[in-house]
Amino acid sequence: MRSKLHHRWYVPYLFLLPGLALYILWMIYPLGYELYISFFNWKIMPGQQSEFIGLENYKEVMHDKYFWMALENTVRYTAVTVGGQMLIGLGLAVLVHRVFIGKRIFRTIYYIPVVTSWVVVSFLFQFLFSSHPGGFVNYLLVSVLGVLDKPVMWMSETKTAWIIIYVLGIWKGVGWTMVIFLAALQGVPVELYESAAIDGAGEWQQFKNVTLPLIRRTTLFIMVALVIGGFQAFVSIYLITGGGPLHRTEVVLSYMYDRAFDRLRFGYGASLSYVLAAIVVFVSFIQMRMFRQSD
Amino acid sequence: MFRRLTLLALIAILVMPIGITHARQETVTIKFWHTYNETSPENDMLVNTLIPMFEESHPNIKVESVPFPYGEFRQTLLTSLAGGEGPDLARLDIIWSPEFAQLGVLSALDETMPDFQDLAARVFPGPLSTNAYDGHYWGLPLDTNTRVFMYNPTLFEQAGITASPTTIDELKALCEPIKALGDDIYLFSDGGTYGWAVLPWIWSFGGDITDPEITTASGYLNSEKTVAAYEFLAEMVDQGCFSPSYLGGGMDTGTGYFTDIFASMLDGPWMYPIAEAQYPDFEIQAAQMPAGEGGSISVVGGENIALFAGAAHPDEAMEFLRFTQSDEYQLKMSEVGQLTVIPSLLENEYFQNHPYYGAFLEQLKTAKARTPHPAWSQMEEILTDAGQLILRGEASPQEALDLAAEEIDELLAEE
Repeated sequence: MRSKLHHRWYVPYLFLLPGLALYILWMIYPLGYELYISFFNWKIMPGQQSEFIGLENYKEVMHDKYFWMALENTVRYTAVTVGGQMLIGLGLAVLVHRVFIGKRIFRTIYYIPVVTSWVVVSFLFQFLFSSHPGGFVNYLLVSVLGVLDKPVMWMSETKTAWIIIYVLGIWKGVGWTMVIFLAALQGVPVELYESAAIDGAGEWQQFKNVTLPLIRRTTLFIMVALVIGGFQAFVSIYLITGGGPLHRTEVVLSYMYDRAFDRLRFGYGASLSYVLAAIVVFVSFIQMRMFRQSD
Repeated sequence: MFRRLTLLALIAILVMPIGITHARQETVTIKFWHTYNETSPENDMLVNTLIPMFEESHPNIKVESVPFPYGEFRQTLLTSLAGGEGPDLARLDIIWSPEFAQLGVLSALDETMPDFQDLAARVFPGPLSTNAYDGHYWGLPLDTNTRVFMYNPTLFEQAGITASPTTIDELKALCEPIKALGDDIYLFSDGGTYGWAVLPWIWSFGGDITDPEITTASGYLNSEKTVAAYEFLAEMVDQGCFSPSYLGGGMDTGTGYFTDIFASMLDGPWMYPIAEAQYPDFEIQAAQMPAGEGGSISVVGGENIALFAGAAHPDEAMEFLRFTQSDEYQLKMSEVGQLTVIPSLLENEYFQNHPYYGAFLEQLKTAKARTPHPAWSQMEEILTDAGQLILRGEASPQEALDLAAEEIDELLAEE
């Protein structure tokens, strides 16, 4: 009986079924439906007729200046925040790695922003960077440090608005990169440092020639994960600047949200998200190849 | 015998619940979504005075009032309606009515409400007209307002200004004395370049957004007079006379006005209850919008109340809608800055002796409404962006407005 059951081909699938069913219901079905919507001038209100328009939405995306602006912003956001998170995360990991007392405390403190809700920290940053002379950052820069003589209107200039979004993006993710780097650093055999030291390698040479090559796989893994996350940036931008001023801090997802939920152009929004998905898949594919070549 | 008794008892038990539900009158809950400001007394008036008053006279109806911040309301409402989770009634900015009507989510009151004509005859024709779209009425006006020129008496006195400016030129002349008070003191402020903020200047300069039939913006939005209005605003912001809050994200205009940072602003009657509650020592000084070549023209605001086509309880909702048109509702709301839409009430002693409604009623005589068009939200985005380009000095008024007019023309052609 037992062996018979064992041989039935469908048995493993039965065990997979509950998870698979949920996956299909919550992931595959909406994705497929979204693709379907993207070929329509989709009417969201009950009782209205949606019109099939083929690839028109996709053609419009290609000619939409705001889409290109948003894409450029997304790429820049990804480059800045991924770079920042990796450099600072690695730096912190090296420091925390060397600490013998309270390692766990440091790890926890740096990790807290990672597990805090995006909504909460976005509002917190909006508050910190208030344009009011009494806003925390303005107060710090003008009255305490005296670096500036006038409070900055953070949200009204594109450049300063990006500063808030970048700082938040980096600050929020640094704890995660630090923890992963820390795990990798702990995996580097101490003997290698010892022999490098005997060969006369200084601190920096040890770091460059021993540490970095040995944590390479981890570095690539972090990069791939962060880049995918960077392309999906939305909450902080939507809440802090709403894409403004003049759509200049719009990223692809905030722009998609605006077209879909503000203009009620759900077909167009769907096509925007499919274009973004294609880009993310392409970028990840290239990174994966780099990953493989590095081995 | 025993069997018969058992049978009777069983029947009685079966029938009992029917009797009970019949005896108890069924209570219906209607959902009313609105933007009555939670930090001002208007929401308090609705929730603690008016709704209890209504529920007392209509014991079978409960009103569930849900306040939303203005900026989020339109989108929240649209999304909820799309998901079939909308309210029975909503208080809509007059400028949203055509858009919601076009989406087919509102109930045409002239068809569904037997006493619509009587109610419509009671209100001001101007606010009523903001409910009209495609040959039907999709709501009734709830309150009306306009922006008047409010100045800060402390700053005016410190600057030695004795009279409120009646013309735009006179206003301009006040720039120097106000600026002399300090670098971070501004003559005037507003929160951005959206329609509500820039239209009084455009109209008072003699410009406009579109032709009266709303078919084209070219020749109106980029006309010499509209360009002059933007040139004026750009010059004022550039010289530090008008506050940089125009670029968005700056200090809230009302806060700056009450805390002696902004010497003047354009604002509505709701500022009085706010002052009373938060700045009890402050005395708002109101005057008419400074006049330009086009006159002293401000912008009409206000809200409509609309019944949704998908309302769960249309009859009960209509009862509440009627209540909002009653004298008592209108008078109570007028106490908290919501100016009535019923002209006959203005004869009332309350308005005759009112400390501040006079300025608004006077300004309303010439005030104009924003373009009543389903695509207004999109037109306004184009307008806002053009204004930002101009005030940031990134495009000349003529360039930016030519482009904006072209974009609005395209939008109007689509409809």
